[in-house]
Amino acid sequence: MPQVAHPAFLVMGAYATYVLAGYGVDPLLAGLLLMPVFFVFGLGVYQFYYSTFEGRGSDQGLRGIAFFFGVAFIVQVGLILVFGVDQQLVDASYIGTSVEFGEMRIPKRMLVAFGVALALTSALALYFSRTFTGRAIRAVAQDEGALRLMGADPVRIKRWAFGIATATCALAGALLIIVGPVDPNVDRLYIGRTFCVVVLGGLGSMSGTLVAGLILGIAESVVLTTAGTAWAPAVAFGILLVVLGVRPAGLFGR
Amino acid sequence: MALELTISGIDAAYGAVRALQGVSISVKDGETVALLGTNGNGKSTLMKCVMGIVRPSTGKIELKIENKNHDLTRLSTEEIVSLGVAMVPEGRRLFPKLTVEENLLLGAFRPQARPDIAKNLALCYETFDVLKQRRGQLAGSMSGGQQQMLAIARALMSSPKLLLVDEPSVGLSPLLVSNTITMIKQLKERHGLTVLMAEQNFHQAIRIADRGYLIVHGEIVFEGESVADLEANDLVKNYYLGTAG
Repeated sequence: MPQVAHPAFLVMGAYATYVLAGYGVDPLLAGLLLMPVFFVFGLGVYQFYYSTFEGRGSDQGLRGIAFFFGVAFIVQVGLILVFGVDQQLVDASYIGTSVEFGEMRIPKRMLVAFGVALALTSALALYFSRTFTGRAIRAVAQDEGALRLMGADPVRIKRWAFGIATATCALAGALLIIVGPVDPNVDRLYIGRTFCVVVLGGLGSMSGTLVAGLILGIAESVVLTTAGTAWAPAVAFGILLVVLGVRPAGLFGR
Repeated sequence: MALELTISGIDAAYGAVRALQGVSISVKDGETVALLGTNGNGKSTLMKCVMGIVRPSTGKIELKIENKNHDLTRLSTEEIVSLGVAMVPEGRRLFPKLTVEENLLLGAFRPQARPDIAKNLALCYETFDVLKQRRGQLAGSMSGGQQQMLAIARALMSSPKLLLVDEPSVGLSPLLVSNTITMIKQLKERHGLTVLMAEQNFHQAIRIADRGYLIVHGEIVFEGESVADLEANDLVKNYYLGTAG
């Protein structure tokens, strides 16, 4: 089931970074410091979801999604109440400066975001392939009953996975606000993008997700500069529709 | 080391459908016990009761292991696995989108099995050469026979003391069934396992069983103290051998 509150947690990560940056903490460091906090928060959210929905068997169909839509709205409204609807941004030495490669000028903030995202993705890929818990996280989506027979508690594994997913929102949120200003409603843009990247990459494929993210980013930039900004949101949904029609398993789906 | 599984008088049902009634069986250290019966007679349900997947409504399931008694009806599946009980489930239940090696490593999830991973993995690859060749391949892309080998190997990765095998012959060709059964026997001798095997292929099951039970409509109708005992029984003849008058 898609966790549709994930983009809201991402924006929450951006705002949490913004708050820490207000105390003079470097935004990247803030993102890292927030990861354990978000991890624990994620454990709590899953536990609440489990006790109220999944554990009672009422997560079938749209009800589970409705839960997370609700959580997303609460986060969004909460952010608006505390910070207002205006855009917020942070400052750091690597924001507003750029590196020159011959003719090209690449903003440092983009390089930083790219590098950190790459490192985070690689770390997660290693975690999922090399550790017992990581492998169990991939297995739990395939067959919970069989995982039980391996001696692992599926609920604990899912709670842990949810914690990790939420922790990545802390660092990703920091990157988001490093790359550009953030407002409480920006998560709506990311729901479409998230679906696009996950479907294009192929469910469960880390390398596919990385490549799909790059493809979407480049496609959005091309459309943005050639067709105008109004068309940008159509890119993600356009790719999503084409992939679902042509190759539903995604680029790296197996 | 003493191990003994004692099931006494269990009833189990799926809603209003009664699956087991007053079932009592025992499995002692080092034995291979066959649970015989055709489809839908409760073999799998009994296996699931032992693993804590299905809860009996009455009766006791006790496992004596290392001189401690455990009431399996009160333990979760994970806790039962941690005691050293492994099951090769019906239909294999592999993780199709993980590689052969990842499936095997998940078999060693229980903390007690982790120190022996290297040894157990080497042993699995030695026993099942095809798994070694295909270690990086996705489990779901292998043939039925290879998947069955992987399912058995995965169960052995947990260093079990008691191995439950549910219908190892389902979906396999006669030759593969024969190979699989032989393999279970070899592995059993090598690892000093105690085995409870549910099987509807009578001829294959009695090749490796020390003794067995015949289960019909959720009740144990015959307990054979030896293979000869089983072969001589009228019910067995009736159900399996087609030799009864």
